[in-house]
Amino acid sequence: MSSLGRRAWLSAAPLAAAALASAGCRRDAEREGGRVVVSLWFSYGGKNREVLLELVRRFNEGQARVLVRPTYQGDYFEALAKVRTALAAGVAPALTHVVGEVVPYLAEAGVLEPLSGYEGARDLGLLPPLDQAGSFDAAGPRELFALPFNRSVPLAYLNGSLVPAAQAPRTWADLRALARDLTRRGGGGEARFGFEVPISWWFWAAMAVQAGGELLGPAGEPTLGGEAGVEALAFWQTLAHRDRTMRPPAGRDYNAWQVTNQDFLAGRAATIWTSAAFLRYLEENASFPVVAAPLPAHARPAAFVGGTFFVLLRQAPPAQKEAAWAFLRWVCGPGPAAEWAERTGYLPVSRGAYEQMLARGFYEKHPNDRAALAQLEAAHPWPWRPELFRVEREIVEPRLERAVLLDEDPRAALDAARRAAREDG
Amino acid sequence: MATGPTLRPRAPWHPWLMLAPTLAGLGLFAVAPLAVAAYSSLLRWDMLTPPAWVGLANYRALARSGEAWRAFGTTLLFSSLVVVLTTGLGLGLALLLSRPGRFAAFARAAVFSAYVVSWVSVALLWMWLLDPDAGLVARAFAALGLPRVGFLTDPGAALPTLAAVTAWKITGYAMVVFVVGLQDVPRALLEAAALDGAGPWARFRFVVWPLLRPTTAFVATSSLVVSFQAFDVVRVMTQGGPAHATTLFVYAIYEQIFLNLRVGRASALTVLFFVALFALSLLQFWALAARARGAGRKATPPRPPAEAAPPPAREAAP
Amino acid sequence: MRPPRPAKLVADALTALATAAWLFPYVWMVLTSLKPLREVLERPTDLWPKRFDGGAYAEVWAGMPVGRYFAVTTAMALAIAFLQLALVLPAGYALAKLRFVGRNAAFGLVLACLLVPAQATFVPVFLFFARLGLVDTMAALVLPFAVSAFGTFLVRQALLNVPDEIIEAARLDGAPEWVIVYRVLGPVVRPTLVSLFLLSFVFHWNDYFWPLVMTTGDRVRTLPLGVALFREQGTGVRWHVVMAANVVLSAPALALFAVAQRQLLRAIGGSYR
Repeated sequence: MSSLGRRAWLSAAPLAAAALASAGCRRDAEREGGRVVVSLWFSYGGKNREVLLELVRRFNEGQARVLVRPTYQGDYFEALAKVRTALAAGVAPALTHVVGEVVPYLAEAGVLEPLSGYEGARDLGLLPPLDQAGSFDAAGPRELFALPFNRSVPLAYLNGSLVPAAQAPRTWADLRALARDLTRRGGGGEARFGFEVPISWWFWAAMAVQAGGELLGPAGEPTLGGEAGVEALAFWQTLAHRDRTMRPPAGRDYNAWQVTNQDFLAGRAATIWTSAAFLRYLEENASFPVVAAPLPAHARPAAFVGGTFFVLLRQAPPAQKEAAWAFLRWVCGPGPAAEWAERTGYLPVSRGAYEQMLARGFYEKHPNDRAALAQLEAAHPWPWRPELFRVEREIVEPRLERAVLLDEDPRAALDAARRAAREDG
Repeated sequence: MATGPTLRPRAPWHPWLMLAPTLAGLGLFAVAPLAVAAYSSLLRWDMLTPPAWVGLANYRALARSGEAWRAFGTTLLFSSLVVVLTTGLGLGLALLLSRPGRFAAFARAAVFSAYVVSWVSVALLWMWLLDPDAGLVARAFAALGLPRVGFLTDPGAALPTLAAVTAWKITGYAMVVFVVGLQDVPRALLEAAALDGAGPWARFRFVVWPLLRPTTAFVATSSLVVSFQAFDVVRVMTQGGPAHATTLFVYAIYEQIFLNLRVGRASALTVLFFVALFALSLLQFWALAARARGAGRKATPPRPPAEAAPPPAREAAP
Repeated sequence: MRPPRPAKLVADALTALATAAWLFPYVWMVLTSLKPLREVLERPTDLWPKRFDGGAYAEVWAGMPVGRYFAVTTAMALAIAFLQLALVLPAGYALAKLRFVGRNAAFGLVLACLLVPAQATFVPVFLFFARLGLVDTMAALVLPFAVSAFGTFLVRQALLNVPDEIIEAARLDGAPEWVIVYRVLGPVVRPTLVSLFLLSFVFHWNDYFWPLVMTTGDRVRTLPLGVALFREQGTGVRWHVVMAANVVLSAPALALFAVAQRQLLRAIGGSYR
């Protein structure tokens, strides 16, 4: 470096330092071209992402007051980690969506903006099983914190060329038998599993309730389904290790869900359980007819409504929150909500949207979406407990994964989980 | 040759002014954090609600769940694999490629190129190659009649796979260091041995290897320290799974703070991590001292230990 | 001494094998990135694409702000490298050449900090920046690395070998200390500084861990982080798109390597000597 260069650099240094420092300043309600900019952190990928971005674009173009700027943040859990980190660091966005199970924790921690006071909050016309009050049990608060947007149910998908719709399994025993029939051994590309499901709390909890258990006991202690929980876990283990008809998909979290979809489309799995959210994607990309059906029952049918809620974060400047609310109202309206449901497979969240779809004959043309509605009838509410999410992610899911992959004793695994959940705080 | 500071500063505050930014920076970003981590490890805090004092409860919880031990054991196993692979391959490649000529030079550059790209780049590349259904490696296995291996999805195979990928990336570094070490072997000794009738293997065993031992120790301990800090490969390729088979120490800390929001546990793991790393780094310094001692035994004039740059605590991370 | 022919053939074969083992994966990456989706799904291991398709790259550009990420990453790496150069020279000089009380303690601190990697400090540093509201800013990415214990050490070693006479002569000429440090001694230890600059730039450009930990949003997201995140999108793993993103990520580093190969190799080898 020449000495001249060094001198030039040295005099630039204080300027650079100042620039760096100013780059760190917190910004207030940002404006762009006179509009209030609202940051929306989202976690959809693929097709659902396209639909969301288009809805956002249409909202932005349809009015001149608000500009919603969407930022992709990874899958649900990755995005949630970033939201919580950002909250702690004071750089949280105004608007994001979070999985239902974490809403109690965030609400009790006081980071969510109460929504009842916003204009039109009481008459959004949301469908009861899907909104906050319907998704959680009676312990939930009266205050509104979260608006449903992409709400889904677990569905069983069948390869229509191998399984006629009438043969969709109704009970666990049916599923076991069907999986055995459909499994084909053989090396190379011949192998086919009868059944595949991401090893996820969402499905296991549904099965535990199907087997007659409850996640919490009468006094609110985490029973994790008791014997029913063990039975559910043992069922998976039987299919995977004894019958060898179930393929535990590779990868963690949403990698596993992607692999499950891919295996189904490629014919490596004849039936899968996954979210209704992927309904359109699977229908459009399969080279065979796709049949969707509610999950099989055991002692009773049951499922939990999954997916996320939109939340406003209290930390954001008021102008941004107002602007974000404008977007939320719009997107929960009949038109956008119906479009969202029709193009992805998620359930319509507003009554108006549902009636629109009925009137249009959508459900006649799409029997698979009818299956999702049927599943909704067996929906079970989540317990409104701040520890719910921690129990799910930190305590139960890792143990489920271990138990299924390594065929560990299911009772021991769940006992350990119960102990960990109780002593935890 | 100068042996130490010999000049008087022109003003007593000069040295301190010159050192101030560096010392402030090191204090702020290296020393203070360790103290803060030690303190935070005695709290329970999720960053959203006020912290609570819990004393040694975090350490007890880590011990009870076996998590700290598992992180340490997994990381040590991983590092050992990386060290063996890297040192062995690095030495082999150095021996093979330290001859003159453009072919060898091109090969050396090719091997080293993996060192220059991001860990993300290497991880994504190998995820594709190792895809159990569509990846080249899987297809090659199938063509050779080998059983189907879930490289990243089988709890038993995941850790060695990550170690192999890590070794693939950093072998270039080891090779370059060995090449330098090989150049230090005096030609005279080799020629004398050849004249005495020693073949290539004997020359290696009795002339080159003893002189290379300090270099080998350096490469081994450097790889050990670097691989002990591995994170990127885990985060991109397996996210610590399957079933925590690849949850290395740094990933365990990351998981605790960013996924579980447990600052106290994360800090406790940080303290333990630093203690382990410190012990390994002492090993590294010992290896360096051995190199200096070894240099003393050669025909070349010995270099004082102070002259040898200690290997960086991170992967050549200034 | 000519080696016998069979040995040379074996050596050549092994050399070719080594080259292939390290180069072929990258070739494969590029080839995959040029295939259309159909081929990736149906014939993933066919070597040559039946039809060359740039669609994957179009998707990469549509799916993330490549230019912005690249600019941010480069700016960050340059800032770090330059700041380090500016600070290691005076610090190394003070530790190498000046006699003062506390010198040993200061040097001891520098040595000790060689043992403290970013992975051990990120939790408290994150909390510190969070308290200051600096998470997700350039400051959080650059400032922690503005000082380099490793660089300070290297420069000190290099300066130890510089004869005092140069400094004394410059002092006699009336030059102020900062001129001596930057304009007299700087050029003298130029090779060390170049090495440090290169190593630092490459390492921080490629850094995934620190930006991952210190950023939450899109504002100062770096390219490695953006590409890693890119893979997580999608309802199916579209490898051709992932590989295209990977090409975009790897190309700058490999280009730099092609251009500055000798200096980089010397930097690595030299830091060992």
